Amino acid sequence: MFWILIVLVLMAFLVVMFLYNRLITLRARVENAWSQIDVQLKRRYNLIPNLVDTVKGYMEHERQTLESVTQARAALANAEGVKETAEANNMLTSALKSLFAVSENYPDLKANQNFLNLQEQLTTTENKIAYARQFYNDSVMTYNIACQKIPTNFVAALFNFKEKEYFEVVGESERSVPKVDFSGGNSQTAKDNA
Amino acid sequence: MHKTSFYEQTSKNKRYSQILIILVFCVLVVFSYVIGRVFSPGSTLLFLIFGTLFSVGYIWYTYYNSDKIALSSVSAYPAEGPQFQQLRNVVEEMAIAGGMPSPRVYVMPSPDLNAFAAGRDPEHSVVCVTEGLIKTLNRQELQAVIAHELTHIRNYDIRFVTLVAAMVGLVSIVSQMFLRSLWWGSLTGGRQSRSRGGGNLAFLVLGVLLAVLAPFIVKLVQLAISRRREYMADAGGVELTRYPQGLVSALRKIKSGYSGGPKTRGNAAVAPLFIEDPIKNRLMSLFNTHPPIDERIKILESM
Repeated sequence: MFWILIVLVLMAFLVVMFLYNRLITLRARVENAWSQIDVQLKRRYNLIPNLVDTVKGYMEHERQTLESVTQARAALANAEGVKETAEANNMLTSALKSLFAVSENYPDLKANQNFLNLQEQLTTTENKIAYARQFYNDSVMTYNIACQKIPTNFVAALFNFKEKEYFEVVGESERSVPKVDFSGGNSQTAKDNA
Repeated sequence: MHKTSFYEQTSKNKRYSQILIILVFCVLVVFSYVIGRVFSPGSTLLFLIFGTLFSVGYIWYTYYNSDKIALSSVSAYPAEGPQFQQLRNVVEEMAIAGGMPSPRVYVMPSPDLNAFAAGRDPEHSVVCVTEGLIKTLNRQELQAVIAHELTHIRNYDIRFVTLVAAMVGLVSIVSQMFLRSLWWGSLTGGRQSRSRGGGNLAFLVLGVLLAVLAPFIVKLVQLAISRRREYMADAGGVELTRYPQGLVSALRKIKSGYSGGPKTRGNAAVAPLFIEDPIKNRLMSLFNTHPPIDERIKILESM
């Protein structure tokens, strides 16, 4: 009789350990995914002054557009927490989109090699942010589901695992991750953008 | 929910790989036994030992070096320099989407439109595209192809496919060895086996039958598996890009690229690793390593 009790306790311990370890793994994945977003955001932050300088000389009459980019960049730097960062990120992406859309009217600028390089760099950084965000949200979903499902939810409550926030803006019209291609369209091939 | 089933898929792949190894080991054991019975009971053990050692060594070598082997078979070179900046960026983007380390990027000097991935696990993986592909596809199509290849890596498909290919090769080698030794044996003193009577004849017949059929059957199974994997990689790729249209349009371009037949000779051994069969006009559809492109497009468009 006594032995049965020991075996049961041991089994319970093993189950709890297994579930706890799974939660730890999932949470670590979420945190890692967030840091990846952070890395890309910082990269974009560093690229933008270069872009603004390159563009300023050519786009004399587009001061408004340039201003909104600079402001959005500053706002993003000051954002705290997932929700604020998501909002600020969206603002900066649209500001950049406007800037590149407007640049279509300046053929001199489009011929500038520096500008083209920056365009590709910013395109890839925007995409990386978008995909890092996608991966982050997927990781959050898996983790949150684990926190809610029985019996993992008991272990989660016991060890104080909190659910994580999604990287999204409330009322966002685009449900899918925004695809960015600042080079102005789908028709350009990889070779053109070299 | 997609993510959960994706991880389930990966563990299923790992499980299947293990089961496959055990299965083929059994085949080899049975084969060795039959061979042993044909020649002499004493040599059964010898064949078993040799067979096991040989197969383990061979499989391990192919698995461990699958990336180097695949790359050298197509004369690939590293994708360095500003002209491949966009390609490298696209690969990094997809690696981030997949939460995996970024594979090394290579280019194949071929005007055909194709790509493959190789490597025993995500940390030691490579992805290789043809020069033709880079020239012809736009950014989103390129991204879709890379996403498909990275899915192969994430799925541990490379490991699975390499193991299967090595084993199929092994079964063929063993059959060949057996059949040849029969031939030589009958020329030089086959009296030994004949003296043991009719029992050995049965095993002889069985052995010959196995030797002829086994490679063939195993090949068909391998091809069926390979086709299934391609569908899964298409789906997994879309899961990364969330944009099935990219892959659809890429596949269309690839299809028309091959309409006149491949311009460079494809290597049959690494064919299953490519996004599309580099060797067109196989004898029957059963021999296709990849499902028909139109089928793949149809499924993608329904997503």
